[in-house]
Amino acid sequence: MPFDVLANYLIVGAGLMVIGMLGFLTRRNLIVMFLSAEMMLQGVALTLIAFGRYHGTWTGQILTIMILTVAASEAAIALALILVLFKRTTSLDVSLWQSIREPGMPPVEDRPEDVEPAEIIPGPETYPRLTPAGIEPPHPEIDYTTRRD
Amino acid sequence: MPHLRLDTLLAAVTIVLGAIGMYLLLPGSHGAAKPRQTRQAGYGLIALSLILLATFWTPPGDYLAAAFFYAFSLAALLSGVLTVTSRDPVHSALWFASVVLSTSGLFLLSGASFLAAGTIIVYAGAIIVTFLFVIMLAQSEGQAAYDRTSRAPGRSTFSCFLLLWGLLHAILMVQSPVEPVPVTHMTAVEKANRLVPTFAITKHEAVPEQTGIDAVLDRAVRPATGRIHPETPHVAGLGATLFSDHLIAVEIAGAILFAALVGAAAIATPKPPIRPGGRA
Repeated sequence: MPFDVLANYLIVGAGLMVIGMLGFLTRRNLIVMFLSAEMMLQGVALTLIAFGRYHGTWTGQILTIMILTVAASEAAIALALILVLFKRTTSLDVSLWQSIREPGMPPVEDRPEDVEPAEIIPGPETYPRLTPAGIEPPHPEIDYTTRRD
Repeated sequence: MPHLRLDTLLAAVTIVLGAIGMYLLLPGSHGAAKPRQTRQAGYGLIALSLILLATFWTPPGDYLAAAFFYAFSLAALLSGVLTVTSRDPVHSALWFASVVLSTSGLFLLSGASFLAAGTIIVYAGAIIVTFLFVIMLAQSEGQAAYDRTSRAPGRSTFSCFLLLWGLLHAILMVQSPVEPVPVTHMTAVEKANRLVPTFAITKHEAVPEQTGIDAVLDRAVRPATGRIHPETPHVAGLGATLFSDHLIAVEIAGAILFAALVGAAAIATPKPPIRPGGRA
């Protein structure tokens, strides 16, 4: 692999790394933060494989296999922790855990009144229409086709 | 060097366009509603920045290899942007699967066929499904407010793209590396000896022939010298060097996986709450 081709892979790896870092810093959902960290690992793995190919050795691929192993272990532990945190607060918001930051940091507050509105999917919810069969059951108070929110 | 200056300027323009596009695409810090035109402008700037970034790549090999490289790289970067900026975490997970698939294509192009398959199986197969499972478990009522806000988007974008500019500048500055000695004419042992002059590595042939576990251990503790041989360029060569030169690393990786399994099972198992006065 000539050096120019190595530089191609290094640029792509650097881009993935930086995009992942941006996601980890800005997003507030625990799972999206974790996905961003995994994306940083992907950028590093790409860089390692390109360097290994450039030098003609297996070492880059061996290191990437180790990264893959550690990432799998990390995913198992992190998802278990996220589940425990979700059970405590019933939310994936990382801002709810501000009390464990270093002391003296100003708290970040939400202004829920001017949060960007959620995208509303147009049209009513549709369900498949089935042919009635058997004995008619007692009807519930709310029809099952009306939207519950 | 006027061409270098042009490169640097183009890199700066690319980085600034990408940074502005990312800032426009990210949710606001207090979640102030962004109009549709802002998002379209962000997508446009990101596309422009990616096209400018593609001008830094030299087409590798023949036409087909270059086409696949450009497709996989642009898909990886674009999916990465969409992973970070999606408001819905389910969409984020699916775009991340797209990142993994594109990166596996790049692995395949650079000759790591086993890792391409392994990455698809481990990430896109197992980890993404687990993520989607947790997302479905945790989010029952659509998009939450914290998904539509982000923390300090301006400062984060600035620092991250400053880092990207530094990396890109460093990569572009090293345009013509000095070839110290033709690498192909030097055995790996000589190269390692040159890198570590105080610790002379004995040649493979000079090592007295040992049998049994002594040979295995001796090879495992020696510095790795595995080069890609033309006769075993694929999984066979990788497996040979993994289970002989890097035997200790494999054992440690197995121990880490086992510890992670035990740890995840211990953390995630629901435990009865500890109350004062309750049964110990």
